[in-house]
Amino acid sequence: MKKALFLALALSAGSSLAAPFVLPAAWMAENPSQAKAGGEVRTYSLSDYKTLNPFTSSEADSLPTLMASVGLFTQDPSTDKFIPYMADAMPVVSNNNKRFVIKIRQGMKFSDGQAITADDFITTFKIHTDDKVGSNSYDSYFINGKPITLKKLDNYTLQFDFPQASASAYSRMGGLTPWPDHVFGPVYKSKGAEGIKAMWSVSANPSTIVSPGPWVISSYQAGQRAVLKKNTYFGEWAKDGAGKPLPYLDTMSIRLLKDLNAGLAAYLAGQTDTFAASKADDLAQIKRAIDGGNLKANLVPNVSPNATSSWIVFNWNKSGDVAKQKIFRDVRFRQAMSHIANRQAMIQLALGGLGSEVYTGVYPVFKNYQFDSTPKYKYDLAAATKLLAQMGFSKKNAQGYLTNSAGQVLEFNMATNAGNTVREQLGRIFTDEAKKVGVKVNFTPIDFNNLVDQLNSKGANRPFDAILLGLSGGDNIWPYGSNVVPCGGNLHSFNVPSDGKCLTPQESLMTKLYFQGDQTLDDDARRKIGEQLSKAEAQNQGFIYLVGTNYHVTYSSRLGGEYKRNLWDAYNQARPYAHLTTYIK
Amino acid sequence: MINFLLRRLLNAVPTLLLSSILVFFIIQLAPGDFLTPARLNPNISAERIADLQRNLGLDRPVVVQYWLWLTNMLKGDFGLSFAYQQPVLDVAWPRIVNSLYLVLPYFVLYYLISIPLGVYGALRQNSFGDKALNVVMYILLGFPSFFLALLVIFGLLQLRYKTGWDIPINGLTSDNYTSLNPLGKFLDIAKHVAVPALVLAIGDAAGLTRVIRGQMLEYMRADFVRTARSKGVSEFSTVYRHTLRNALVPIVAGIGGLLPAAISGAGFIEVVFAYPGITPMILDAINTQDLFLIAGFTMLTVFLLIIGNALSDILLSVVDPRIRYA
Repeated sequence: MKKALFLALALSAGSSLAAPFVLPAAWMAENPSQAKAGGEVRTYSLSDYKTLNPFTSSEADSLPTLMASVGLFTQDPSTDKFIPYMADAMPVVSNNNKRFVIKIRQGMKFSDGQAITADDFITTFKIHTDDKVGSNSYDSYFINGKPITLKKLDNYTLQFDFPQASASAYSRMGGLTPWPDHVFGPVYKSKGAEGIKAMWSVSANPSTIVSPGPWVISSYQAGQRAVLKKNTYFGEWAKDGAGKPLPYLDTMSIRLLKDLNAGLAAYLAGQTDTFAASKADDLAQIKRAIDGGNLKANLVPNVSPNATSSWIVFNWNKSGDVAKQKIFRDVRFRQAMSHIANRQAMIQLALGGLGSEVYTGVYPVFKNYQFDSTPKYKYDLAAATKLLAQMGFSKKNAQGYLTNSAGQVLEFNMATNAGNTVREQLGRIFTDEAKKVGVKVNFTPIDFNNLVDQLNSKGANRPFDAILLGLSGGDNIWPYGSNVVPCGGNLHSFNVPSDGKCLTPQESLMTKLYFQGDQTLDDDARRKIGEQLSKAEAQNQGFIYLVGTNYHVTYSSRLGGEYKRNLWDAYNQARPYAHLTTYIK
Repeated sequence: MINFLLRRLLNAVPTLLLSSILVFFIIQLAPGDFLTPARLNPNISAERIADLQRNLGLDRPVVVQYWLWLTNMLKGDFGLSFAYQQPVLDVAWPRIVNSLYLVLPYFVLYYLISIPLGVYGALRQNSFGDKALNVVMYILLGFPSFFLALLVIFGLLQLRYKTGWDIPINGLTSDNYTSLNPLGKFLDIAKHVAVPALVLAIGDAAGLTRVIRGQMLEYMRADFVRTARSKGVSEFSTVYRHTLRNALVPIVAGIGGLLPAAISGAGFIEVVFAYPGITPMILDAINTQDLFLIAGFTMLTVFLLIIGNALSDILLSVVDPRIRYA
């Protein structure tokens, strides 16, 4: 009895002490006191939802992430620093930046009313790191094959131990969303990975789904519509700047519209409140509908570049054609190719004027990692001609193509994936410009999967000359692709020998700097390393980066609750994820 | 008749086996597999891809994969969809049902439009009405249905702007569907299905109308029709009992194809109208090389085609007294 009383007292003390997470009012465009509670936001998704199971879902905007994109830390969009979210405070760091002791915020509850404690994090972590489950987050909890470990110190204290210091420590820990131990734990104990995989399919009864985040599933009609309702327990610990519970809205409904045109039609008809506009035609139609008074919406084109770029990569492993291999391995050749790329023409002709020039693997949206010292080999045919002449290609033959003293014509094959009209146009623009300086490019679009097989091939003689393709994604913490920049990575596509060894000193430097930065927790120190890495990467021109698309924002005038305009970009988006702060005006 | 059906059943076994081999291996002929996009993801390591390959069974030899699939199928298990991690039938079934809502009204409209128009064209051959119909039909024949659908959507959008009416332009149900009573639910679906079904039926009716018109013209000049007329059989009976019944024989023979067509959805029209039918899902599956979803669904349609063909043979013997299965 005494013990029970003590427990009750402790519990009440705990909850009264618990400070809520407050979303800073400084981030928001309007004063949070203007926000109204209630209402519904109507969005759409182009792909069908595959599962409600957080351990097997693999898509970016899956239902589990929409329901609960919450973790121990979150990134402040105004400073790019991490701040505590489900954690009560920033962690106590020890053991050379490898040990993090974290107090969990008290008073947090799942959508079924049960408290969120250390056990939920531990069980979630265990299931994610079980390779038989096949979780998409699996890789986040290993560094170079060595596991990160997570220990429970008490009900509200966690201890992470990293095998080495890591730049991404906060995003790795912050990405751990706690799913209920009382739901998954017993199944995992009795049936293991197979039991977990069979849980929470899209046809699961919504009342059995428990969420730690702002939303929880309310109904799902296959291929038609998902409806999420507010998790009222979330607002008990997550407040806006005025102390009101988040999210403001009662409901978020998501139409599943397979076709982009159908998505646009629904938006133009006022049936949805948001639209991810990407094409010039779409933007023009939205503008016309707004100007014609048929659609009440805000439209801001070209908010920022997207985290993506197309590029051309040349194959350094071509033992079957040593003459070509020698050309591709010559850094002057690759710099000349960057000079040939008429990026403005590419933006105007292929992207309808809605794009940005890209010169390195760090996409321009990651503003904190753009450096003046990074060389840019801009469109300059004279400079290209000069570099190629230095390589011995100074005479033109009867067809107008450059040859060297041995009579070798400067010529290569270039492939992209058939059906991607933008890439096909980029390739043609590049081919035309190359012809002007006397470089013969045989450009052919081929099947996507075939292309990827070629790109992924390993060894001394890989089956392509040049490939035009694109990659996307990344973050602004350490924005260098882990399998792109260091030698041996499977997307280090210019040089993939069987042993994965570097060929040039520049590559070795890039590899060294990549891992050095990746193991640096301090933001400023890491950015200094990034400056050197960006310079080495740009000088090497392993990939010739071309252009990327831009990010545009449009939403119904009904909606409020967006970020301040200066925070908008493709990385932060225009409002907090999953309409956390959206309200109906 | 029983004998005939048994023979049919026996014939079906090698047909199904052969088609399962073709289906499985033709899908394998395409380069790449379900994990190809993952290989282009800068955040997925090579070890992780190897793990996934093992989990999905993609590391085993193709012949072994085929054998496992075939033996499981005999037990009624069509395999797991890679993307959904769910049995193929569980994933596809709700979509098939949605498609049925669209395809069945479409069938009705299709025959309701093309048979009367075909008969009219034959009876009033070379009249102004027939010629006008011919022109429209020829235009529709050369018009892809998805393009027609896009025009219709554009038109509906303009109508919405002008009138402010809440005309559905895509999907199967309205946002408030779950709160409606059964009659309201039925009307809601009908409202959503009407436009795509009509667009599809009008677009497709062009071909069938031409066939019926040609058939009717042929039979109207046949000896037995002249005999019927000279016997004094009423004009109605001559046209509908003697001529049309014969003219419909090739159409009845084609009814067998309707059964698999009913479950394989309404094609691109489903994509354009963002209709939650089976077509968008199968297109997705083909794009992502979701092997068992494509293969399992294809086998289902092959199976239904065999049943459908047997059914249309039976129907033929009903329509055409000259056909007997002994």
